[in-house]
Amino acid sequence: MRSMDRLFEHSSRSLARHTSRRSLLAMLGKILTGAALVPLLPVDRSSRAQAADAGATGVPAHKPPMKKTGSDDPLSCDYWKYCAIDGFLCSCCGGSANSCPPGTAPSPITWIGTCHNPTDGRDYIVSYNDCCGKTSCGNCECNRNEREKPIYRPSRNNDLNWCMANADSNYHCSVSVILGVAEE
Amino acid sequence: MKVCLMRAALLFLATCTPLLAAAPPLPAEHLTVTTLPPNTPHRVYVLDEAFNNEIDARVHVFDGDTYKRLGQIDAGFTPGFNLSPDGKTTVVGTTYFARGSRGARTDVVEFTDNATLGVTHEIVLPAKRAMTLPSYFNLGYSADAHFLYVSYITPAASFGVLDPAKGTVLDEIDTAGCVLVIPSGPDRVSTICESGRIMTITLDAQGHEAARAMSDAFFDPDKDPVFVQGIPTSAGYAFLSFLGQVHEVDLSAAQPAFHPAWSLLNTADQAQSWRPGGTQVGAIHRKSGKLFVPMHRGGEGTHKQGGSEIWVFDMRTHQRVARWPLAPLKLSSAIAVQVSQDDAPVMFVATEKADVAVFDALTGMLRHIEKQLGQTPWLFMSP
Repeated sequence: MRSMDRLFEHSSRSLARHTSRRSLLAMLGKILTGAALVPLLPVDRSSRAQAADAGATGVPAHKPPMKKTGSDDPLSCDYWKYCAIDGFLCSCCGGSANSCPPGTAPSPITWIGTCHNPTDGRDYIVSYNDCCGKTSCGNCECNRNEREKPIYRPSRNNDLNWCMANADSNYHCSVSVILGVAEE
Repeated sequence: MKVCLMRAALLFLATCTPLLAAAPPLPAEHLTVTTLPPNTPHRVYVLDEAFNNEIDARVHVFDGDTYKRLGQIDAGFTPGFNLSPDGKTTVVGTTYFARGSRGARTDVVEFTDNATLGVTHEIVLPAKRAMTLPSYFNLGYSADAHFLYVSYITPAASFGVLDPAKGTVLDEIDTAGCVLVIPSGPDRVSTICESGRIMTITLDAQGHEAARAMSDAFFDPDKDPVFVQGIPTSAGYAFLSFLGQVHEVDLSAAQPAFHPAWSLLNTADQAQSWRPGGTQVGAIHRKSGKLFVPMHRGGEGTHKQGGSEIWVFDMRTHQRVARWPLAPLKLSSAIAVQVSQDDAPVMFVATEKADVAVFDALTGMLRHIEKQLGQTPWLFMSP
């Protein structure tokens, strides 16, 4: 621990010597902004895990790509963000977990769920939007209902066609978009 | 050996060819349209949502005695459907797009004569119809068939009052915070509210609102929500909750009356996390008071999971009287259940693999499995 302390002390002093106060604030701002954004982005953390493996041993990891578990894979119904999705996964229909397939239109109204991300241990509020204007995709049907409520609680219900208010209200597929970290 | 076989074949040809040549030709046929057989208590109407190509839903008409498909009623996109009180008409509330899967939206109620399966007429609706899972309460008739009510969600909630005989829309009634249409008597419509209450609207003779009243809460939507797939009883509906409570609602008077809730589960069942689930979570044979429920073991979020067993309850004693596991019958989980109302009732079970099984509802004996009755059979209606 003492060596760690010395390392941080040395780094801090070195930083102070070579950095003006304004540039330090600017850099800190960037770091903080980045840190705030990281949890909001649906990134694949399995590659980060591989990099961490390589870093730990000091040699490049010559392992085959890490197989994604269901909870990390946007093509899988087990993907953590899909915890209350009911429909066809847009990621299997030409879109992604948070983008509609070409030629469709996102629903402006939506239902909301809270899903737990096992990778960072946080709960996230996610918006389940439908993608509209073509007939149902028919691929990767996924029906998960954590904390889902019946239609008398419409904002928590996934049985409604949320394309209902679109100019073209046909249902094609569903996405899951992170809105933010759920407060305790 | 080969020689023997060739000789036998030649002998067969020599013997049979004159006979074949002498057989009279088949007669010319006349193309006809089949007439439906007379209705029976075991006829069932099966809504196939056709989820993989959802603009093409349909209602299959199926005979629980002969196990034949009798015909089809087309049902468009995310339909609701119901039967008239006399069982002679099927109403389908649906949506069509002008170019098949896109284009101008038309919401409409279509009336089908159940004796011919021909569409007799339609009523065009405002583009507000509730596009959601089918239940008894997407649209429904008043008890005297004078009015037809259609649930609207835009997502603002309201319902339409229609005159099915004249083919007109009479009014739209706002029900903010409360959804679906549960008809009772000649002029009352109840709705289920997000607060766990029931709001009841009474109509005047012209189909306009005359009065409205809000009940006390009869369930807790946060702790233990009820399925909206209410099950018809003699005096109203039974609503099952996610955790297996039975809430019987009597709608025979001006305001709903709530029986004390009772549980489908004993202590051991609760410890094993048994729950009801599916798209049609129960059926009641009203004369005998038997309740049939698809049950599964699961936790939070499994309320749409099909049942691995059908449990049978006596509604009067609140006791379970039978458990019918489905796996030994090579059936996948049961997502929808219905029972006929005659004295020799049959139970229909739709599975997650889209098979429909027909059981003797008195004994639980499996009589027939109709493989793949459509794509996604989610709701049965039985007269």
